[in-house]
Amino acid sequence: MTAIEKTIDSTLESACQSKTLVCDGNEAAAWGVALSRPDVIAVYPITPQSSLVEYVSQFVAEGIIDAELMNVEGEHSVLSALQGAALAGARTYTATCGPGLAFMFEPYIRTPGLRLPIVASLVTRDTLTPQCVWGGHQDAMLVKEAGWIQMYCETVQEVLDTTVMAYRIGEHPDVMLPVNVNSDGNYLSYGVTGISLPAAPLVDAFLGEKNVNWHAALDPERPMAIDPLTGGAGGPGPKMFVNYRKGQTDAMQNALRVIEETHKDWGDRIGRHYSPLVEEYRLADADYAIVTIGSMTGAAKDAVDEARDRGEAVGLIKVKTFRPFPVAAINRALNKVKAIGVVDRSVNFGWNCGPLYQETIAAAQKLQRFMPSASFIGGLAGADITVEHFSEVIEDTAKLLKGHSYDEPVWINRND
Amino acid sequence: MPHCKYLIIGSSHAALEAVSAIRMQDTEGSLTMITRDSHLPYSPTVLPYVVSGRSKADNVALRDQSYFEQHAVEFVTNRSLSSIEPDCNTAVLDNGDRWQYEKLLLATGASPIIPPIPGLDKVKHLVLRTLEDAVALRDASQKAKKAIVLGAGLVGMHGAENLAEAGLEVTIIEMQTQVLPGYFDPQAAQMIQSAFDQHGINMKMGHKAVSISPQSSDQQNTGCRVELDSGETLDADLLLVSTGVRPIFDYCSGSHLQTDQGILVDNHMSTNQKNIWAAGDVAQAKDFYSDTKVTTGILPDAVEQGRIAGMAMSDDPSLKNYSGGVPINTYTFYGQQAISVGTSDSSSGPLNGEPTDKLEIELTVDSDKGYFQKIIFKDNRLQGISGINAALDPGIMWQLILRRIDLGAVKKEFVAQPLETGRRLMSGTWR
Amino acid sequence: MGIGYNTITFNQDKCDGCGDCMLACAQAKAGSDDIVHSRIQILTTDQPSGDPQASDSGAIELAMCRQCGDPKCVSNCPAAALTKNATTGTIDWHADKCVNCLLCTVGCAFGGITYNAEIGHVTKCDSCDGNPACVKVCPKGALEYNTSGSIYNRISDKDDLFVPGLSACQGCNSELLIRHTLRNVGTNVVVATPPGCIPGMGTVGYNGKTGTKVPVFHPLLTNTASMLAGIKKQYNRVGRDVTMLALAGDGGVGDVGFQSLSGAAERNEQQLFMCVDNEGYMNTGMQSSGSTPAGSWTSTTPVGKEMQGKRTDAKNMAKIMMMHNCEYVATASLAFMDDYYEKLDKAIAASKHGFAYLHVYAPCPTGWRFPAADTIEVCRKQVESNFVTLWDFTPEQGLRFTRSTDNPIKMAEYLKQIGKYRHLSEAQVEHLQRRVNDQVRSLKAFEQLTEVS
Ligand SMILES: Cc1cc2nc3c(=O)[nH]c(=O)nc-3n(C[C@H](O)[C@H](O)[C@H](O)COP(=O)(O)OP(=O)(O)OC[C@H]3O[C@@H](n4cnc5c(N)ncnc54)[C@H](O)[C@@H]3O)c2cc1C
Repeated sequence: MTAIEKTIDSTLESACQSKTLVCDGNEAAAWGVALSRPDVIAVYPITPQSSLVEYVSQFVAEGIIDAELMNVEGEHSVLSALQGAALAGARTYTATCGPGLAFMFEPYIRTPGLRLPIVASLVTRDTLTPQCVWGGHQDAMLVKEAGWIQMYCETVQEVLDTTVMAYRIGEHPDVMLPVNVNSDGNYLSYGVTGISLPAAPLVDAFLGEKNVNWHAALDPERPMAIDPLTGGAGGPGPKMFVNYRKGQTDAMQNALRVIEETHKDWGDRIGRHYSPLVEEYRLADADYAIVTIGSMTGAAKDAVDEARDRGEAVGLIKVKTFRPFPVAAINRALNKVKAIGVVDRSVNFGWNCGPLYQETIAAAQKLQRFMPSASFIGGLAGADITVEHFSEVIEDTAKLLKGHSYDEPVWINRND
Repeated sequence: MPHCKYLIIGSSHAALEAVSAIRMQDTEGSLTMITRDSHLPYSPTVLPYVVSGRSKADNVALRDQSYFEQHAVEFVTNRSLSSIEPDCNTAVLDNGDRWQYEKLLLATGASPIIPPIPGLDKVKHLVLRTLEDAVALRDASQKAKKAIVLGAGLVGMHGAENLAEAGLEVTIIEMQTQVLPGYFDPQAAQMIQSAFDQHGINMKMGHKAVSISPQSSDQQNTGCRVELDSGETLDADLLLVSTGVRPIFDYCSGSHLQTDQGILVDNHMSTNQKNIWAAGDVAQAKDFYSDTKVTTGILPDAVEQGRIAGMAMSDDPSLKNYSGGVPINTYTFYGQQAISVGTSDSSSGPLNGEPTDKLEIELTVDSDKGYFQKIIFKDNRLQGISGINAALDPGIMWQLILRRIDLGAVKKEFVAQPLETGRRLMSGTWR
Repeated sequence: MGIGYNTITFNQDKCDGCGDCMLACAQAKAGSDDIVHSRIQILTTDQPSGDPQASDSGAIELAMCRQCGDPKCVSNCPAAALTKNATTGTIDWHADKCVNCLLCTVGCAFGGITYNAEIGHVTKCDSCDGNPACVKVCPKGALEYNTSGSIYNRISDKDDLFVPGLSACQGCNSELLIRHTLRNVGTNVVVATPPGCIPGMGTVGYNGKTGTKVPVFHPLLTNTASMLAGIKKQYNRVGRDVTMLALAGDGGVGDVGFQSLSGAAERNEQQLFMCVDNEGYMNTGMQSSGSTPAGSWTSTTPVGKEMQGKRTDAKNMAKIMMMHNCEYVATASLAFMDDYYEKLDKAIAASKHGFAYLHVYAPCPTGWRFPAADTIEVCRKQVESNFVTLWDFTPEQGLRFTRSTDNPIKMAEYLKQIGKYRHLSEAQVEHLQRRVNDQVRSLKAFEQLTEVS
């Protein structure tokens, strides 16, 4: 059933009573948006995000979301309009992916510098070319250095919950940064499950009083210039710029703390607890582990369980927060094992490996011991990484303990 | 002790123009204008018309009270300056008040000369410089029958015409052989004089009054008898003395201000003493034609100098040098117009003694029509133009002289049509 | 602050010396056909000296009262018979006080107040109480009644909302424009200035300091209209009526900024979007843009053996915006200030309801290579030659010219003052002339549609 055919109650309060809902990840994201009470939403459709903005639009039409909905002419304007709205004090939302994100890139890379707590869902999609409209993390991985907070969801429920949490994280005065809530195209966007919808008053209490416009803003009642030019060498410009940038990276590090606090409070209030940064699965007595990100983790956990049944001392480390990269949390996990196999749904062309792999072994350097490791690349263009695939991953990773080493990444799905 | 930033003495053209120049630059600095007169500012030039009745004495004010309020000017009447102490920036008034100034402008103008003719002090005589003088002359003209006017300058000629129009029998006694010397050459002067002759005014040209005595027959002692150098005696019951004016600077004594015929000033109207300027009839400033300093005694110059002084006093960045005095006269007599700008006579005045081959004189006269036009060029530059019933714009002629504009290419046209040619030249210059 | 007044202006180049103005004046002021009574005198000569040094080149000249701000005729009057009228700005002559001494004529170096022997007193122009007879009859448009003075009165007591000393080039027209515009728009505004000369001259400020007294920001070159749209949405949402103003260069409007502009116009976003068209990327060093006219030298369309300036024509952005059916679209030039002000008022009003687009032509002395002092003259000729045209558009009204396109001056008259056209061949000039003719014809067709409907 599409959003258009549904009949929905016409206020947030009546629509969002604690109840169970059967829906896909895009609809779950839309409910998360509704519960966050944004002021301005700008949309432009793109596969596999389209139904998400359809749900949001429908909610606006029905009165469930009381927001200004801007149907603009492209993603570039989507984010630009939201920047304007946020500078005027609005809580804002949009969603995009793949080519749309690429087109949005110019305002996208500026948003963190403007310190605007915009929330944008990335319904991740592989990048062109070859032409493809299917899931993959390549789009999100390409923008990892832009300065946005990025959290990858594992389940449909987590998509809803993380969308709400994203506002509290981004708008925190110690953070003031934009947040991407990443959900895997196809697998989460269209995967239907039962989820529970929290009651609106609970979420209102969790988010607290809205105060987006306490910082630099465009308001005739307190006129100021947003983003004056900073001059070049010789003047005060570079120093200003450097300190500004440092403030931005400090905020990014503050986010690690705020993400943890926020997840804890969400769990306390709503009753659903998530590992905010890094999840450890059956790691306590593991000799080695596989490292995952996003929705692949479900199948991976099944494969770990099966391997455990076979007597393999394998565990799993799932990265939820990829930006900022939770170095300490991941090293706490890595410290428990002797070898890792990292599974990516995108590639790092420079290092001939997956980006998550690269980041993980970079973190491992701080452990001051050699960590045998392998990079696995799979799930590109919507390909399924099955339990069987993960069993192979576990097998290949186990070889590391016997002194095997990999010069190249292991490509999953090559022969599917 | 009263104090002000700008202290202005006098309330006529030079003073008023200085005030407006100051207020363009400095709208706030305290400004006081002190005059010995008891009226709102007026012009001596309007007085002949007060005498004739054309202007009403209460309708000639150049500024009204609201002007002073709007421009933050303190206006003090009935007080005259009696001395200056430049060392301590102090001006002392007749009542002993001592005013401290930051900048002082002396714009006290001139007063009539009373010639040393034996007996003149014994008889009642009139002058024309103040509104009181004008009212007195007007009243006297209504009672008297016979008038004698001493001097055929502007004041005398105006006075004589007024008195004659009022029905009096009028005689003008003039030492020189022509009327209005300095503004018109003898030929033009003769044309003007003949109008007076025709209107029955008795013109005693080239004669001096040697003595004056009260008229014996007159009980009230208002009449007088004037004896000329020829021995002739003339009786009159109204005597108007108009033998010229003399700058008023008696208050300068003891102040070390440099004076000659007037108070000597430089090209910014600044005196030799710090913080003191002088402008108008009282000032003796650069002559346009020569290196000497002159007192011009004309209204347009009082305005010009007042403006420069005001700009200098208020540190106006667009201050320019005074370009020098040029004689100018616009004179209406019996409905005719006589206009003179610059030199009118090469045989007297600054051009006297110039090699004649350098001067070019273009003369056009039509006595029947009462038309006269004389143009003097030197090196293709206009030196002076005078005319009777000839159309020309004196303001344009003045600029052509001051700017020393080369008229070589248009000389013929200019001589034929000074009005149109002058206008076209200046329009081109201004654009 | 001083007061600005309306004045009669004389455009010597257009005058053919017909004298109709003098006749009209004599009739209006004396009921006579004798031009001796005219207070405006047109002066022609049969014998031009040809010598420019002699300050008489044979051109047609004018003598009339300039209604001076600091009139010497008034200072010279001993009888208080002349006064400067503070309301109208004319110098009024009071017959009851005049004593006919002619000292006023000594004060005037323009032949503006003169003795009329026929009637026995001086006369001068009184501007016919703001409806001058001479202007109305001038068949060549050489006389105009310039009412821009009233603009200064309107804004003189309004705050200049940009800092003094913006670092614009000498003669920059944009600084003039933005100061005027902001004065008029007022403080309840958010101003967007995408990268270009306008922020480059310091309007958004430098190193943490602002350049204006109102909220101002740098959008990207590409997203001005979108950002303003977002701001406006939020202010509408919280019930505050704030004006959105974009001051954008032609690149940020018609090239890389076009998509967001077009989208915002289509959505009828409530904003006033102003294009300051200097025909290129001047801030980055005079590169060619979509609004650079054919033949122009720019640093990316140089002149050499193989290329003689830009090879393609400029696009007409204002026309394109008209096709968006915006709430209001207008073109303007700072040489025609009162026209600009009228349009600015309308654009501000329209921006309360929807998208308003103002295209202001902004000749650039630095980039176009002409003397800084000539900016307004170039602006004027740009319009007078029909190189650009002044019009406005609303969906109800359609297109309306606000200045006639009839009797344009020669294209060469406009081109010759500008360095970037110095190399043009005759064929290139002809091309531009054809292009201009086409533009005018096409706009006129729209105007006719207006008349029909
Ligand atoms: C009858 C007449 C006709 C004239 N006609 C013409 C003419 O047609 N054309 C022309 O160009 N010029 C004419 N003039 C001359 C012209 O009026 C003067 O050149 C002009 O007024 C000079 O202005 P001023 O401000 O320098 O001095 P004045 O006008 O003389 O003013 C001097 C001021 O100083 C005040 N004052 C004097 N002494 C003191 C003191 N000690 N303390 C305080 N205040 C003092 C006076 O009260 C007066 O206010 C005429 C003059 C007269 C008298």
